[in-house]
Amino acid sequence: MAEAAPGVATPAPSFLRDRILLGRTPREYLRAQLTPFNLVAAAILAVGLPLLVLRFWKGLGATTNLSQTAPWGIWIGFDMMTGIVLAAGGFTIGAAVQILGLERYHAIERPAILTAFLGYVMAVFGLLADLGRPWNIIQALFNYGTASVLFEVAWCVMCYTTVLLLEFTLPFFEWLGWQRFLPALRKALIALTVLSVIFSTMHQSALGSLFLIMPTRLHPLWYTPTIFVLFFVSAVIAGICMVIVESTLSHRVFADRVKGKHVDVDALTLGLGKAGALVTFAYFFLKVQGVVDGHAWHHLTTGWGAWFLVELLGFVLLPCLLFAYGVRHAKVRVVRIAAAIGVLGIVLNRINVSIVALNWQAPQRYVPSWMEVMVSLTLVTIGILLFRWIIHRMPILSDAAPADAAAQHRRRA
Amino acid sequence: MTYDLLSVYPAKALEYLLGAGYLVLFVFFWRYVQGGAKARARAAARTPVPTGWFGLPAGVHLHPGHTWARVEPDGLVTVGMDDFATKLVGPLPVELPPVGASVLQGEAAFAVTDGARRASLAAPVDGTVVAVNTAPPAPDDPYGAGWLFRVKPPRLAANLRQLLTGSAAHRLLEDVSEGLARRMNPELGLVLQDGGAPITGIARTIAGDDWDALAREYFLS
Repeated sequence: MAEAAPGVATPAPSFLRDRILLGRTPREYLRAQLTPFNLVAAAILAVGLPLLVLRFWKGLGATTNLSQTAPWGIWIGFDMMTGIVLAAGGFTIGAAVQILGLERYHAIERPAILTAFLGYVMAVFGLLADLGRPWNIIQALFNYGTASVLFEVAWCVMCYTTVLLLEFTLPFFEWLGWQRFLPALRKALIALTVLSVIFSTMHQSALGSLFLIMPTRLHPLWYTPTIFVLFFVSAVIAGICMVIVESTLSHRVFADRVKGKHVDVDALTLGLGKAGALVTFAYFFLKVQGVVDGHAWHHLTTGWGAWFLVELLGFVLLPCLLFAYGVRHAKVRVVRIAAAIGVLGIVLNRINVSIVALNWQAPQRYVPSWMEVMVSLTLVTIGILLFRWIIHRMPILSDAAPADAAAQHRRRA
Repeated sequence: MTYDLLSVYPAKALEYLLGAGYLVLFVFFWRYVQGGAKARARAAARTPVPTGWFGLPAGVHLHPGHTWARVEPDGLVTVGMDDFATKLVGPLPVELPPVGASVLQGEAAFAVTDGARRASLAAPVDGTVVAVNTAPPAPDDPYGAGWLFRVKPPRLAANLRQLLTGSAAHRLLEDVSEGLARRMNPELGLVLQDGGAPITGIARTIAGDDWDALAREYFLS
């Protein structure tokens, strides 16, 4: 806009063209959308969205393999448990920047909060699909079942999603150019961060506490009376790992949005890797302690034990050592690989706890139907598409909105 | 499920051993993870990384307005113009703050002047000026003999967090080099500068008598 050559008529500013279509006409914009990634995403949505309709029309029985003995499927184990734990980057980085004063991580705070927000929204959608009668969720809030862990979980999901929404309004209003609200919101950010730490701590651990009433249903290698501590510590690991993976990807994929911003992603990655090394080291010992505490070590020689060791050694100890090696020798690539393994490890842990090792003695094991898998895949795809749509438009990877930055540049020139 | 009720003492012993083992191993683990930091710092100090046109030694903290700060062993901070700023304005007189004056990070602290035209530069840190360099300017050594003044910093740690070091500082210099190359020859892009490093007084070469406006743009003043 500002660089228009003399003699060429500069079109009048238009919200739709400048802010939504990224300065292109609708026809140009649509043509630019024809990419292999978008075609795959469209194919997934074309199958998944009708399946979601089918689930609400015909019910859970028609679309899922859930039963009275296996009421928790991948919509809980993957969409909910994994979606929430991978959203932990929001409060981890928020706390580091706003509360611990580690200002240099400010550059990755907004992407982390955005990921957390979308993770929670997608988890809520997954949950609504999983609940038999989703409209009854209001009962969980206002029946005051204070002895129930689910009561805590329900309140935390609602409250923290609201907090994330409020945190997200800052870049959103900057994008819309609503300057009037920004000073108040910026001031409120520290309060919101405190709230996000409180609700996340409660929520992440409460998801683990759900398993406290199933000491016989959950395999002894995974069950421990302190499972909520493991859930919280692993959430911190997931937060750190996700932020490393995501800042690597977003600074590569969206390189044009961070050009000239002097963000030293490598130094931030090494700093996060150090934190990752320390937390995974502690988590490893907590996991072992859980086995010793539950007198479950004789299970280690069984098939279950082998699977447990895969998780413990391959996806906790290995990333821990890789983090340590990468940080000591300043090898950013190694730290990134460790973070990727760390993310997979936490996903594996949540799926193990809530699907694989749950009902381990049941005669009939739950296997998800293709429709359940497809709906989960659809939710992940929607999350990625939303993330990309927002990051191309709103000031997420940089602080000032692109339009504002251009205006500032013009004023200065 | 077999539950070894009788083995409670061995089990407890194992738990305590595990707890103690964790603490002991953590010491070594922490030392291992941290140990690299010093080695890296030493290696970085030994090998200055070349930055194309404009040099930048290790241990120098750069302000985006192209002034630098270096913490001296006695706790004072030496301040100067970076290689880019020095080459941009060329050999011009510098108006320094008097000894005893206070400077604030990001606020104008000194200026290069040429008759009526001047461009001021920001102080990279807060502090009280305790010494100024009265020696003749040394454009060939902007980070050594070309230092400008020394300050006693009251809040150094907070100030240093706002400054660029290492690869971020190098990137700043690379970006201005690139921007400068485009200004010199906007049509050709990256062709001209393949031949050699720029001479001093670039601003005057590009903008003529409006050199001060160009300088102010880069000095963020």
